[in-house]
Amino acid sequence: MEESDHAICRAVLAGDKDAYGTLVTRYSQVVFRVAYRITGNEDDADEVVQETFLRGYQKLAAFEGRSSFATWIYRIASNCALDLVGRRKMEAQSRVAEESAPERGEAQVADIKAGPDRLLLSREIEATQEAAMRSLTATERTAFVLRHMEDRSTQEIAAVLDIAPNAAKQAVFRAVQKLRRELAPLWVNT
Amino acid sequence: MGKHMTANGQHLSEEELIEHYYGEDAAVSHVARHLKACAKCAAEYSALERDLGGVKILAAPPRGEGYGHEVWRSIRGSLQVYEPKKRNWSGFGFRRPLALATACALLIAAAFVAGRAWQRKQTQTVAVANSPTGRDGEIGHGEARERVVVWVLGDHLDRSERLLVELNHASGKDAAEPLQSEARELLASNRLVRQSAKQSGDPALDAALDRLERLLVEVANEPNGLSESDLNRLRQEMNTDGLLFDVRVLRSRVGEQQPNGAAGLKGVSL
Repeated sequence: MEESDHAICRAVLAGDKDAYGTLVTRYSQVVFRVAYRITGNEDDADEVVQETFLRGYQKLAAFEGRSSFATWIYRIASNCALDLVGRRKMEAQSRVAEESAPERGEAQVADIKAGPDRLLLSREIEATQEAAMRSLTATERTAFVLRHMEDRSTQEIAAVLDIAPNAAKQAVFRAVQKLRRELAPLWVNT
Repeated sequence: MGKHMTANGQHLSEEELIEHYYGEDAAVSHVARHLKACAKCAAEYSALERDLGGVKILAAPPRGEGYGHEVWRSIRGSLQVYEPKKRNWSGFGFRRPLALATACALLIAAAFVAGRAWQRKQTQTVAVANSPTGRDGEIGHGEARERVVVWVLGDHLDRSERLLVELNHASGKDAAEPLQSEARELLASNRLVRQSAKQSGDPALDAALDRLERLLVEVANEPNGLSESDLNRLRQEMNTDGLLFDVRVLRSRVGEQQPNGAAGLKGVSL
């Protein structure tokens, strides 16, 4: 029978380090999925997965089993991904602010009549969406991903981001508003 | 698109429509009725559905079955074995009610002591709680006093952490305003808590609170509000990421010890 997560946590805290490997293998895929959705980048998501389980191990003594381990590690993963997105944005800002304009220009080329190749069009749409997602702040992006893609409630988002529910709701609103603005050119010719 | 209310103020706002889309509106039937009756709102809602429906849900690239093992191999070497604690983890589930009752009792005791301290001096609860008086000779007064201090410290670190998270992700003046008012409030409590930390001789806590104070001063005292560039400068110059990490570590140390009272605090012994 599969050992429960709480039993494994107890074993780890009692000195059985390798027991944690079971939790890592059990939840790596879920953590990778949410990390990828928030960061939008495969390598970054892999980094987040490692960081999440490292942090999880270090904080395990503070995990008191009030929630499930899955929920707890999910929160850590979302936070790690949020931190990474924030860091990446900072790095990008401090490098140069020259990339955003051409991307937006490309995105506005989406014209159904001009592009008979549907694959190309779908790539255009993807590029526009990626650019739109990049225009969000780290908090907005995380809130939106959790709401729209991970189907998490406002309360859960607030818990993940460690902010008030109303602030979480506002973050989702702002994200939706920005995305709609950015994606509007796609609907012009349809 | 993007406007909240129309001229007569009777239409649904964009926020209401978004809430409805995600099924989080409090008055579902009211919104649904309105959408049936109002063509303008129905059109707005259709546009919203189209826009959000068009946002592709990112499918994560597949990871093989051995992915978890790979992750484990990559981090295993960095993990240190936990030393078995005295604390009995088998009490995880069934001892929860007992822990809850103990926590309630502690809270009541703390509230009682805090109330008395407040009455006696009316200011600086923290300072009072830390002064080595004990002159009224109440049994367990010292221990309860320490609990109040730990509780105050925990609360302070909690609020500081929230501020730092907000600061790290804030953009624009609108987001900066609440940060400033929160920073002003925290500044006062930070000074009191820091004073206590100094007396207790905890260098890690003192150093973190010192850095926090400098940041709070910067955030609170910017006369023209915080612009985007101010926020970026603060994040870089004051290394808010690092500070956030320190605060989280301290908070987890305090949090870990709270249910057992302040007596067993390692390094946070105020």
